[in-house]
Amino acid sequence: MSAADTATDVPAPARKKRFNRTEVLAALIFVLPFVVVYAVMFIYPTLQMIWLSFQKAPLIGAGTFIGFDNYEKLFKDRLFGVAFWNTVYFVVLTVVPSTMLALAIAVGINRLKGWTQSVILACFFIPYILPVSVVFRVWGWMFDSQFGILQPLIALFVGENVPVFRTLPLFMPAVAFITIWWTIGFNILLFIAGLRNISPEIYEAAALDGTSRWRQFTRITWPLIWPVTVLVLTIQLIAQFKIFDQIYLFGNGGRSDATMGLVQLIYRSAFQKNNGGYGATVAVVLFAVIVIFSVLQFQMLRARGEK
Amino acid sequence: MADIRLVNVSKQFGTVRVIENVSMTIESGEFMVFLGPSGCGKSTLLRMIAGLEDIDGGEIHIGNRRVDELPPSERGVAMVFQNYALYPHMSVRDNMSFGLQNIRMPREEIAKRVAAAAKTLELEHLIDRKPGQLSGGQRQRVAIGRAIVRDPKAFLFDEPLSNLDAGLRARTRIEFAQLHQRMKTTMVFVTHDQIEAMTLADRIVVMNNRKIEQIGTPMDIYTRPASRFVAAFVGSPAMNFLPVQQISDRDGMALVKLPDNSEIQTNIATAHLPNDGQLTLGIRPESVRVDSDGTVSGKSDVIERLGERTLAYVRLADNSVVIAEDEGMSRLNVGDQVKLSFDGGSAHLFDARDVAYSAAG
Repeated sequence: MSAADTATDVPAPARKKRFNRTEVLAALIFVLPFVVVYAVMFIYPTLQMIWLSFQKAPLIGAGTFIGFDNYEKLFKDRLFGVAFWNTVYFVVLTVVPSTMLALAIAVGINRLKGWTQSVILACFFIPYILPVSVVFRVWGWMFDSQFGILQPLIALFVGENVPVFRTLPLFMPAVAFITIWWTIGFNILLFIAGLRNISPEIYEAAALDGTSRWRQFTRITWPLIWPVTVLVLTIQLIAQFKIFDQIYLFGNGGRSDATMGLVQLIYRSAFQKNNGGYGATVAVVLFAVIVIFSVLQFQMLRARGEK
Repeated sequence: MADIRLVNVSKQFGTVRVIENVSMTIESGEFMVFLGPSGCGKSTLLRMIAGLEDIDGGEIHIGNRRVDELPPSERGVAMVFQNYALYPHMSVRDNMSFGLQNIRMPREEIAKRVAAAAKTLELEHLIDRKPGQLSGGQRQRVAIGRAIVRDPKAFLFDEPLSNLDAGLRARTRIEFAQLHQRMKTTMVFVTHDQIEAMTLADRIVVMNNRKIEQIGTPMDIYTRPASRFVAAFVGSPAMNFLPVQQISDRDGMALVKLPDNSEIQTNIATAHLPNDGQLTLGIRPESVRVDSDGTVSGKSDVIERLGERTLAYVRLADNSVVIAEDEGMSRLNVGDQVKLSFDGGSAHLFDARDVAYSAAG
């Protein structure tokens, strides 16, 4: 018997297939419901939206293909410019301030002990559970130019009552302030979860190392909750780019052309003017902006944290 | 290098007292081990020396300074934590230099100290890694490095070996001993592992239930335990305890009669023993031999073959169990009738309050 024969006589070790058919089938069955829902509810509408942006079409019903005409029109549209910059301004006013404020409050709350901690946390979190209509009513009443509870305070500084939501330079900062008040509870919660993840022993080691409070925050606490900070910033960025309700409600009856955001422009084009193609075009641009900004921000901030 | 003095130190958490009037002196350059079961207060005591826990009463002195009102960083001690407590986002170098940067030490001096510590602990090749990229043993060494660079008056170790596997623990234990020989600095080491305590300590503080049971050298603790708790806690396998039926005097020393009427002559002076109350005989397994000429009989329940010796768990006539030693190649089997000889010279007696009485000298 030759060496080759010998080799072939030895049975090859049974190779276990990495996946067997039953496993694959089981995996598919588990994943399928989500894939179907995701395809029907997200992928298909997204593709339809992109397709619609190349058409002159009403919101419902057939349209005609017009290539990039909607996009050309969009970049020449003054209202789109206003809506775009209003949205960016709102994002600037809310995302970083809200994150920083939430971090500061979370650090403060984390130092509290026992029931005071729970009560203070609840105080900050309760606004988050309110529907936007209630938030609108509460703050609309508080800022009311005649009877608003805050007007005496405003009058103290500027000498007279100010219709905050009818004064253009104050509109966005006021809505941003209210939005931060409304949503900060969730961010605080995320930061507190992050802070509680840091082992107390690390702070004890820092105490033995003679670390000052400020240095403890800048060199230990913040670097350790940097991933949470990146997460909060990204969630905030996405949420605030989609601003609609607050601007729509507080701006209602005012100069809505001047206070409009991008989602409001989509709503007006598609639902009020029945221009589905143009509305879809604005939506595609907003979608692209959110994806680009959030991915860029997430990657850049994460990279900074890893350095 | 400095001594550490605790004077009537007490501590309570809420209504629970965790340390009661503890006083002791840890000599300068001494390796002191706090030994005791979980919850006995040994870690709390260490943390009180470090300044991580306030004290409710008493005083703590390090060197010539009273420190119990000072923050941890001003006490001149460095601590190695059970879970190392390294800064996870900092490199090994930064972990070691962070404390020195806090006191604004010149950069060159920091670099020199970190390099020296890294060399001593063989961390040079890991200096730019982060803790997450290190093994448990390496993290342990970084934590020690962080303590060394501060050149403290005393090192405090809070169960630093408990997270290592058995092999690494044994090696690191030897490294701790070498580190102490080299640095000759005061070291306080908390553990519940008696082998660590026995092998590392100049002196051991055995703690139980918030109090100090005994302070002494390892051999003192082993051969002359102050209480039944110490006798039972130190030594593996644990000391045998047998009820005493009667004590009589023979040449001034106690002659112990066991429930099965066998007699054991001890070297414990009868004059020192209490006149009333039940006494218990304590004798370590190595002092009870399987011996065909032995005077105590029983039946072997369990046999443990450890290689160099064999342990026999022998049930006596009164149903009490004695652990006895036999040679490594013992032919003893479960169920065999066994005769035991007791080396009464090394036996102890314990009174009803668990106070120990040992042989003189």
